[in-house]
Amino acid sequence: MFGYIRVDRANLLGKEFDAYKGIYCALCKQLGKDYSVFSRFILSYDCTFYAMLALNITTVAPCYKQGRCRFNPFKKCLYAETESKALSLAAALSVISAYYKLKDNLIDSPWYKRLLYRPLQPFFALWRRKAAKNYPEIDASVKKMLDDQLKAESDPHCVLDKAAQPTADMLSEVCALLPDHISCDERFDKIKLKRILGAMGYYMGRWIYLTDAADDYEKDKKRNGFNPFLLSDVSAEQLPAYIEASLNHALSEALLSYGLLDKGRYDSIIMNVLCRSCVNIQNEIVSSFHNKNDKNGELNEKSI
Amino acid sequence: MKNPYEVLGVSQNATDEEIKTAYRNLAKKYHPDNYNDSPLADLAEEKMKEINEAYDSICDMRRNGSSSNYSSGSYGTNSSYSSTSYPDVRQYIMNGRLDDALELLNGVPEGSRNAEWYFLMGMIYSRKGWGDQAYNYFLRAYQMDPGNPEFKAAFNSVNSRRAYANPGYNTNSGMGCSVCDICTGLMCANCLCNCCGGGF
Repeated sequence: MFGYIRVDRANLLGKEFDAYKGIYCALCKQLGKDYSVFSRFILSYDCTFYAMLALNITTVAPCYKQGRCRFNPFKKCLYAETESKALSLAAALSVISAYYKLKDNLIDSPWYKRLLYRPLQPFFALWRRKAAKNYPEIDASVKKMLDDQLKAESDPHCVLDKAAQPTADMLSEVCALLPDHISCDERFDKIKLKRILGAMGYYMGRWIYLTDAADDYEKDKKRNGFNPFLLSDVSAEQLPAYIEASLNHALSEALLSYGLLDKGRYDSIIMNVLCRSCVNIQNEIVSSFHNKNDKNGELNEKSI
Repeated sequence: MKNPYEVLGVSQNATDEEIKTAYRNLAKKYHPDNYNDSPLADLAEEKMKEINEAYDSICDMRRNGSSSNYSSGSYGTNSSYSSTSYPDVRQYIMNGRLDDALELLNGVPEGSRNAEWYFLMGMIYSRKGWGDQAYNYFLRAYQMDPGNPEFKAAFNSVNSRRAYANPGYNTNSGMGCSVCDICTGLMCANCLCNCCGGGF
């Protein structure tokens, strides 16, 4: 998980932001409760969104209660309390994805970083074992994602779509899992819900993967690493437009899939994420490519 | 059956115009063209049918109850194709058997691949979630036969998604400044200059 799925606070109402913050703080608390106080450090916006997606469709609305933050006792926070497994699922996804990310980092990173990561591994492994016991499907999906990613990256005929598929499939499976574990409002048909959440998860996963790839493009190009945008033969001038179109397409599909769902209690916040925040994030990344092209253009003019 | 007013997201006291606007927005949002190449196409069609039925039923209720002047006539949802060289492939795609459809298409010799072949390849990749490949195939189909409404609709639809221009959704990022913003800015600047004794 990469932390790209967050809200655009400037375009949220006060009560909407409080509701979102309440889920964020409640997930932090759940991580502490289910795993360890140190597991709270792996709290991410992506998993908060996953928890919100689950709470959006539960039969009973979460109850917001005030409490004190564990890390800052002077600060009062709202916590979204729920009987459903929404937060427990999101906490499990957090620790499982953090464990596999750490494992991946131990293979990919330079030696000095590996020295830092190595001592963390036993703790992450312990949390992951506990989460996998309760939710083996999440563990299987994340593990499969890493295996498939390695296979896709080593395939000489790999294309952008193939490279993005493992992350997309993982999030699709994890999102489609929600109706199996939580009791959904009777307005929702379970089979349809699974299909819609699965499709939405697929394209959100694709968007996250491609956004991260666009963000890392320069770094990967410099060190000759794998990047899906390096696979195509698009020229440097056309690259920003190509990246923007690819990200727009994934986000549009996620939005169109979500649009088929009857409105839940967090609809306005989810729409804020899809229609505002994600757009702002990708605009920021794409504009860095435009800036670079402009600079190159200026340098070329000067040299002439 | 669901309450038709709830389906359209309007109150029972809404005016005819408000109902019409709500219906138009929803019809834009769930129009089959937006979901033609999506794995959720059947759900979108169901939703569109529900909206059409809700709108028709409100029109009927109001026509019978009061003398509201309504012109019913909902958006069509049937997108048919007149002739096809690949009926089996289309059937496989409709039933979600994408690998079988792909196998059949890959068996067509390169020399006899027409615009429809490229269009159907685009459909398969789009339903698989491979948007980049789908775009290339739709583009090729459209370039080979720009007069075909089916290929044109698919190409336009994928193009609008690549521009994040989704009908029925407010997907503007809110960045940049419009002509109104510039005028307001100039008016404010003028007021400030007047205060300082200058102005333009």
